[in-house]
Amino acid sequence: MKLANVKWIYLREVRDQLRDRRTLFTIAVLPVLLYPLLGMTFLQVAQFSREHKTPILLLGADSLPETPRLLDDDKFDTEIASEQDAKLFDLTIERALPPGVSLSTLRSWAEQEIQDGTYDAVVYFPDDFGVKLNEFRAAVADSPDDSETELPASIKQDRAIPEPELFVDTASDKSRMARDRVDSVLVRWRDSIVVDNLRDRRIPSAATKPFKVVSTDVSRERTRRAAVWSKILPFVVLIWALTGAFYPAIDLCAGEKERGTLETLLCSPAERSEIAWGKLLTIMTFSMATSVLNLLSMGMTGAFIVSRIAILGGGATKLAIGTPPPAAFLWLLLALIPLSALFSAISLAIAAFAKSSKEGQYYLMPVLMITLPLMMLPMMPTTELDLGMSLIPVAGVMLLLQALIEGQYLEAVRFVVPVMGVTFLCCLLAMRWAIDQFNKESVLFRESEQWGFGVWIRSLIRDRRDTPSLSAAVMCGVLLLMIRFFASFLFAMPETWDGFAMTTVISLVAFIAIPAIIMSVLLTRSPTKTLLLRAPRFEAIPMAALLALALHPANVALGLLVQKVYPYSPDIIEQLKVFESVIDGAPGLWAVILVLAVTPAICEEIAFRGFILSGMRHMGHKWVAILVTSVLFGAAHMILQQSLTACMIGMVLGYLAIQTGSLLPCIVYHLTHNSLSMIMAICVPTLIETYPGLSLLFSDGESGTLYQWPAVAVGLVVGVGLLNWFRNLPYDQTKEESLQKALDHQTAQIPAKS
Amino acid sequence: MRKITLVLIKETCSLVSTGFVAYRLAGVMIHVRELTKSYADLRRGSFVAVDSISFDASPGQIYGLLGPNGAGKTTALRILSTMLQPTSGEATVNGYDVLTQPGLVRRQIGYVSMNTAVYDRMTAWEMVEYFGRLYGIEQADLRDRMETIFGQLQMNEIRDLLGAKMSTGMKQKVSIARAIVHNPPVLIFDEATSGLDVLVARALLKTVDELRDQGKCIVFSTHIMREVERLCDRIAILHRGHILAEGTLGELADRHEEPDLEELFFELISQHDNQLALANVV
Repeated sequence: MKLANVKWIYLREVRDQLRDRRTLFTIAVLPVLLYPLLGMTFLQVAQFSREHKTPILLLGADSLPETPRLLDDDKFDTEIASEQDAKLFDLTIERALPPGVSLSTLRSWAEQEIQDGTYDAVVYFPDDFGVKLNEFRAAVADSPDDSETELPASIKQDRAIPEPELFVDTASDKSRMARDRVDSVLVRWRDSIVVDNLRDRRIPSAATKPFKVVSTDVSRERTRRAAVWSKILPFVVLIWALTGAFYPAIDLCAGEKERGTLETLLCSPAERSEIAWGKLLTIMTFSMATSVLNLLSMGMTGAFIVSRIAILGGGATKLAIGTPPPAAFLWLLLALIPLSALFSAISLAIAAFAKSSKEGQYYLMPVLMITLPLMMLPMMPTTELDLGMSLIPVAGVMLLLQALIEGQYLEAVRFVVPVMGVTFLCCLLAMRWAIDQFNKESVLFRESEQWGFGVWIRSLIRDRRDTPSLSAAVMCGVLLLMIRFFASFLFAMPETWDGFAMTTVISLVAFIAIPAIIMSVLLTRSPTKTLLLRAPRFEAIPMAALLALALHPANVALGLLVQKVYPYSPDIIEQLKVFESVIDGAPGLWAVILVLAVTPAICEEIAFRGFILSGMRHMGHKWVAILVTSVLFGAAHMILQQSLTACMIGMVLGYLAIQTGSLLPCIVYHLTHNSLSMIMAICVPTLIETYPGLSLLFSDGESGTLYQWPAVAVGLVVGVGLLNWFRNLPYDQTKEESLQKALDHQTAQIPAKS
Repeated sequence: MRKITLVLIKETCSLVSTGFVAYRLAGVMIHVRELTKSYADLRRGSFVAVDSISFDASPGQIYGLLGPNGAGKTTALRILSTMLQPTSGEATVNGYDVLTQPGLVRRQIGYVSMNTAVYDRMTAWEMVEYFGRLYGIEQADLRDRMETIFGQLQMNEIRDLLGAKMSTGMKQKVSIARAIVHNPPVLIFDEATSGLDVLVARALLKTVDELRDQGKCIVFSTHIMREVERLCDRIAILHRGHILAEGTLGELADRHEEPDLEELFFELISQHDNQLALANVV
């Protein structure tokens, strides 16, 4: 790949996009205009509801009591409603019911008035309201102090006072606002009556609220702001990073296909990977620019609105989240780079696949449907950054970002490696996928073909090759993971050895080996070639066993390191304890090795190094095939901490499979490795007691039996030597791998001058 | 001395192995042998678009591929320009293999087709300059070369015109300029005159003629007999992926005793279709 070509393609694409009005509008104009417009509308609405007078009709003013006064001439009394509040009402006062309206027709009359817009609310005080109220108050004031005397009927009765009625139409915003306003005035008026009543009885008004709960917020203002912003900002940034990537991607790939310029570019000396990288960088630039512009525009509008509302008064406390901490922006920008790279690569691959811009647009929805839950997950209150979360793409980065914005740096540092590792891996795979799209003739020169399910199934069987296709391998991997996931609900952890042995063997054979074997038979012409069922050269078998022996100490050390950094959760510790007690019940070491070493070695190798790796090799890149297979292999181990070490072992196993062309060395390695782990857990502690010399090799401590560090180091050195032996074996390349090798070779020969 | 001899032998071997010396000496620029391309097809399993075709073309020669629509002309030329990979067979351009050395092959060719459009949001100058840069031509050399080409093709008026504003004829000129900016020994024109009016098509044919005179090896595909008669030194008649006849116009006329190309063309095609029909009946 020539960097100069990537640069020229990048520069051209950026210029091309900047000359496109649609792109400029979505990326620059829309965010710059959108937020201020939204902000202005919001302020206008707030202003309107603040200044808009509410027309209210008050019926039955005659029946109001003298004290405390509710009305003062034609408006509410200033004791009850302040000058400021009183201005909000446009009060019409009727002494009694209007002519022609009776109590029974009042409701429909009020409904009509409100619907006509004459009034927003109608308040009605019944005829004897004031009289009854006064009677009640007098009775309360005069009632005897001792508790034994019977209270007069006028106060004992529950509904001694007829209830005033407020007619509103909650379907109308204006009417609802009127209800809130009138209600607050009436409640204040009632409270003042309560206070008067208490005063008459010489009871302090505090009697109604003997104490108050004081809530003290111990968070500092800075962290409080950070907590709010750490949830909002990453979401905004990511949504725009995705949108900002998708539209340019469609224009750059599907759009070029439509306009016929893609073929022009393909016949230039630029390689497909150079084209893909040039386009990726362009998409990334626009994705990041969109995101940053939106962030800035939203931030500035938000700050302005918060300050305006503070000036206008009221509601300011609710919105007092203030401006985000400045460090947040730095972290956002840093996290934006890998995420926009990921989104851009995914968009690029999808857009390269699409035949036309229209088809490309259809794919936006599914992408959003997959990405949105990943973005929402970290916003849920119970989600916290842990090992499991850090391994989920997008969600992990968002949680890491939240931790950084909130200033929990120590917490964040622990998870930087897994989060960035997963993100990088996803970027790599998405980019590989995108480049593959550019290499696929069927994608570049795709013509519509009528698709039918039956025809498709027939073509799958008819057109199968010796080894499975890439998509069949991916399908197998996903299928195995899904079966594993659902099966884990099916079987409870058995508590006896027999039950345990039975479920383990059944699930390995039925859920891992058999699906892979069925798929090999159905989807390939040569299941023996697919599952690498052939004899390797003889030395490879003892060499594989030796390699497992040599690398075992390093593997155990790695496992310990993973556990130190990411300790097991209490649930898992509980499970492991049950597991240990189950193992203790085994009839002997042979049984444990048969169930936990021999069976998994055979079943898992058939599925992963057999079917899946054989399919993955059609990518043409040996190491990418090994890596993807290992990640799937790791994911199939349900405990996350184990997945990480399993993934590393998977890399070695994949390498053995390719170098020897046979499944046997892999099975031997896998078997030896698992057996060693069992022997270490079960036999070594007692052996050390009998033969103290063994403590040179092993140590038996809190974290179980471990190797001594010199053993780890020697093992590693020997292991590297053995791997080198495997490296020198001649191995069979797939057609794609040898073509890729030839292609890599030819770029080196390009003459400097054309 | 022994070392030098060894190095010399090694160098020569590697040159021979890439076929570089062999074809240069033989004067063959494009060498196609038993080239086959089949596509995966959901219903039929596979569809053979090009069925083991073979031909050679030399510098200073216009080689015509004549065939009706769907004959496999575009597929064959896309393989030559490395956009498609052959299913089997061999094709080399100036000694470089189209499958394993696509990057080197693309430096030897200029490709103009009805499918290679001009960028809408780029001016003529920018577009040609962009491709020149992708070929790795130095800035100063590129400028000189472009001035010459723009002069030759009379494109100086449209230098700063955006692709979107160009007429079909102007676009075709830009495409040609783009294809010859790196001065390649081979030029491929795939149905390049389709959709052009008479005047523009005539100008294009004249340009192609001039390029031959400059010693380029040109492959020209079309379904128009007159263009072939006017232009081509050798032709191959392509139908349903097969080459039905190959040779100079004179050779073809003599061999099939039919001086009129159009008659010859129809005769060959119907003969082939009849044979196919018979084979199916039997």
